[in-house]
Amino acid sequence: MARNKFNVDEELETPFNFVHLKRLLTYLKPYKTKIMVTVLIMLAASGANLIGPYLIKQAIDEEIPSKDVQGLVILGVIYLGALTITGICMKYRIRMMSQIGHSVIKNIRKDLFTHLQKLSFSFFDSRPHGKILVRVVNYVNSLSDLLSNGLINLITDLFSLFVIIGFMLAIDVKLTMYAMAGFPVLAGIIFIIKNAQRKAWQNLSNKQSNMNAYIHESINGIKVTQAFVREEENKKIFYGVSNGYRGAWLRAVKIQFLLWPSIENISVLTVSLVYVIGISMIGDGITVGALVAFIGYIWMFWTPLANIGNFYNAIINASAYLERIFEMMDEKPTISSVPGANELPLIKGKVEFENVVFGYEESERNLDSINFKANPGESIAIVGPTGSGKTTIVSLISRFYDINSGAIKIDDIDIKSVTISSLRKQMGVMLQDPFIFSGTIMDNIRYGRLDATDEEVIEAAKAVQAHQFIMGLRDGYRTEVNERGSVLSNGQRQLISFARALLADPKILILDEATSSIDTETELALQKGLEALLSGRTSFIIAHRLSTIQNASKILFIEKGKIIEEGTHEELIQQRGYYWKLYTSHYSSLDAG
Amino acid sequence: MQSLRWAWSYIRNHKFRLYSGLLLALAVSALNMVNPYLAGKIVDDVMFAGNTGLLWPLLATMIGITVVRTCVRYGYQIMFEKMSQSVIFTMRENLYNRLLQLDFSFYNRTKTGDIMARMTGDMEAIRHFTAWTIYMIFENATILIFAIIFMFTIHPPLTVAIIAIAPIIGFFAYRLSRDVKPTFTEIRNQFARLNSVVQENISGNRVVKAFAKESYEIEKFSIENEAFKDRNLQSAKVWEKNLPVLDSLAGVLTVVMILVGGTMVISGSLTIGELVVFNSLIWALNNPMRMAGWLINDVQRFIASAEKVEDLLETKSQITNGDEQNIQATVGTVEFNNVYFSYGDGMVLEDLSFVAQPGQTVGIIGPTGSGKSTLVNLLSRFYDCTCGDIKVGGINVKEWDIHKLRSSMGMVMQDIFLFSDTIEGNIAYGNPTATLEEVYEAARKAEAHDFITSMPEGYDTIVGERGVGLSGGQKQRIALARALLKDPNILILDDTTSSVDMETEERIQHTLHSIQENKTCFIIAHRISSVKDADVILVMDDGRIIERGTHEELLLKRGYYYNVFQNQYGNFDIHLMARK
Repeated sequence: MARNKFNVDEELETPFNFVHLKRLLTYLKPYKTKIMVTVLIMLAASGANLIGPYLIKQAIDEEIPSKDVQGLVILGVIYLGALTITGICMKYRIRMMSQIGHSVIKNIRKDLFTHLQKLSFSFFDSRPHGKILVRVVNYVNSLSDLLSNGLINLITDLFSLFVIIGFMLAIDVKLTMYAMAGFPVLAGIIFIIKNAQRKAWQNLSNKQSNMNAYIHESINGIKVTQAFVREEENKKIFYGVSNGYRGAWLRAVKIQFLLWPSIENISVLTVSLVYVIGISMIGDGITVGALVAFIGYIWMFWTPLANIGNFYNAIINASAYLERIFEMMDEKPTISSVPGANELPLIKGKVEFENVVFGYEESERNLDSINFKANPGESIAIVGPTGSGKTTIVSLISRFYDINSGAIKIDDIDIKSVTISSLRKQMGVMLQDPFIFSGTIMDNIRYGRLDATDEEVIEAAKAVQAHQFIMGLRDGYRTEVNERGSVLSNGQRQLISFARALLADPKILILDEATSSIDTETELALQKGLEALLSGRTSFIIAHRLSTIQNASKILFIEKGKIIEEGTHEELIQQRGYYWKLYTSHYSSLDAG
Repeated sequence: MQSLRWAWSYIRNHKFRLYSGLLLALAVSALNMVNPYLAGKIVDDVMFAGNTGLLWPLLATMIGITVVRTCVRYGYQIMFEKMSQSVIFTMRENLYNRLLQLDFSFYNRTKTGDIMARMTGDMEAIRHFTAWTIYMIFENATILIFAIIFMFTIHPPLTVAIIAIAPIIGFFAYRLSRDVKPTFTEIRNQFARLNSVVQENISGNRVVKAFAKESYEIEKFSIENEAFKDRNLQSAKVWEKNLPVLDSLAGVLTVVMILVGGTMVISGSLTIGELVVFNSLIWALNNPMRMAGWLINDVQRFIASAEKVEDLLETKSQITNGDEQNIQATVGTVEFNNVYFSYGDGMVLEDLSFVAQPGQTVGIIGPTGSGKSTLVNLLSRFYDCTCGDIKVGGINVKEWDIHKLRSSMGMVMQDIFLFSDTIEGNIAYGNPTATLEEVYEAARKAEAHDFITSMPEGYDTIVGERGVGLSGGQKQRIALARALLKDPNILILDDTTSSVDMETEERIQHTLHSIQENKTCFIIAHRISSVKDADVILVMDDGRIIERGTHEELLLKRGYYYNVFQNQYGNFDIHLMARK
């Protein structure tokens, strides 16, 4: 599997196009009316704003010279009224925009997270987790401003642009044409800047992602870093990624900031052009008054245009994030239920592998024609050297990966034909690497079955011999633990995740080195209790300690992805093959010293 | 103020950029006045007076000034960006260095997502402040001050009358700034929670899938996601209450001007011309006041984030470096004298005493949670013992230079962490300068070379975070190779071979034996086979050493160790051995 690391930019598989933008707009659809209302409100506000200068002109030209105090007061009151209207409009605008903006952000993030849940192991395994995190949290946040302020401003700016052009056209069509002369130039410049800017922002989002990945990994691996006194080296690396981010940022803004000066210079050039042409036209189709008015409009004309240019800028910037967000949303889950798949009926417990061939990569054969059958209630032990494929076999039963050929059947039903959740819900899996969520121990065990009562949780903990140590902790079952915390030893984490698996009341129980870090005494006690718990369940046990394996109904010996021996403990000892060798070496090691 | 002072301590180092940026901004503001003036000139002199000869020079000046102005503006914008990036860069570096220093207790109680939130979202708020807000405040303040001074020189009474409503504006500005601050703090906190819930979901994705708990996870996430939206809306509520008032009050300045000014003109104490000048200047009062609300928001947003970042930077590691930077003693002898340790309440270790000489191997065995890992964590000073003392090379670990101490130890932790890097990079983690041959050698000793080379990409295989893609035993062996490459004086193996099959384990032990000379070795294990050759075996239970001795001595004692032995070997059919 091609894996990405923190210092490698992720290549983008889909090129940017306006489809992304259209897709973003679909998120705004539910708020169509709200957006329309906001735009209307803003138009009303600008209307009220326009009254102000008129009122003052009126006061200076009429009321004051004629010493009309009463009229002056009336003007003042009207002005205050206009201000109140603007204020109220602004209040609604703020409310509407934050509601729309944050709702859209929330929905995009939710869709992204929901999709993330469907993605298979391979997605999570093939890139640093910090890079996934940054997409769900930070990239989505960066859209917020574009969505709320940007869009609504765009609509009002477009509106005023058209109004202004209308006024200009009403004064003189020919001059309006000259006034537009700057347009193609501006378009050309935007086009040139656009490509560079887009590249710069893509680069920036990559560098941001790399930096986050490195920070994330540094936090998670902090113990190793401190133990190996790697701090200085890490500082150097961090300096590199952080500097990369700074450089990318500056490159991006250097390009982005070019837009404003371009607009301003083009605007002053076109205005000059209009002056020259306009003045030559005076008396020849245009009056001085009309020209002055026209020039007033042409200055106004560039403000919304510059705003639209900025909006375009923002879109280009956001597209660097958008394309990543949508790329992840479009990532096809490699494992998914087939359309119309049925629920898996209550499992009785028969598990069959028929000629199963599997490779993590196309070119590899991690498992080769695996055949075996487990009857309901049987316990199957899987042994063999590290890396021989033991964990792979059990992860196929939960359909964490799809096999290349052959079939895996539970109660004679191919697991590919049923829904994934109905399959996994009936299995209790204890993974090799016990994962603890932040929260209380109670919550962590209850994760196996959310509706379990406290008593049931405690029952499960007792069954796996975890009760005693839990009660010894500061707050018992209410003790807060977290992902990396060393409050719990590895063995204790294993016991908790064991209890979690048991609480799920699974029909099939998979224990992948469930007890590797647990002392023998506890393990024996556990096994005694377990016998009762295991009855009626089919279980798969991977272990290195023979005491764990011996009592299994069947032992599979795996080497290099193949089953090379199969049978009960006694049978395999009789065969004097690999298992026998393993078994005796366990004891002969005693003599070696 | 505290936060601003703190930010200033960073910005101070870029004074030149800051001041010249502000100066250029000032120049641009002044230049801004020129074009409207020129435009007026064209209308008056060229269009009305018909002096067409003036047109070209006026236009040329206008274009020239625009070119200069936009270039200067571009220049100082970049200056501010450079300054803010340098400020952020230094802060981020300091934060990262702090993270590297912080002790295990900190990491035990802090969620990864929280730290990530500090390093991303909060830094962004600080960046925005240094790149934009500072300059905006400056610009608006200068405009405001100049306008007031200018107005004052024209007509003091009217000026006073206009700014008389300043206290009301001040009150609303104060109310906004007081009310909005907590909402920003709430947003930052919620942002951290959102980060945490997503981060854990990603890290724990295997468990989520194994238990088919996707919908529960979505539910959990939705609560935080919804809350994040709510917190933002709550903040917006404070804005909508105050910002429009501030905005309208800024407009009221104009009303006051026209009413008071108007009556003054009528009563004759002000000329109409002066009133017109006031009117042309009033925007210079209006605009800054309008902006004030938004700028207050920005400042408070910055303070909320700065406080969080500052908090993290101020967090002190409880493990302080020893004074003795130049200890010449060699690491080797390890001595525990009446060591007690507690994570907070309840003793985890009680009255531990033992001595291990260079070349000796100490085996540690005992029930889960009996304190085995804690013991070695104290040795490498990830925690400090509560009382008693631990000496390495005859010197108390607290006096050692902590890096020197850890450099001479090679540790394989129980919870194996591999980095998303190549296998080679992972093995060379402790010695980035190691040659390829040295890496191979370490891997051979750890019995990892064969399986690594059998992978399609060999040592260049990139392993996922936490080593996904490798089996438990493979991870353990890579971690062992990583520790061996350091060629440490003290080797600590915490449950290192629990997932390794027995044959391989035996070979590893054989190798360890051969390199163990002069190394002090600690082996924590559950398998008797892992510890039986140790010079001394410590049996721990409930934080105490309950038995100690060699394998043979302990068997004779018929205590805990003997029972473990019986459990692991007792039912062994001796005849099978004979038949072999």
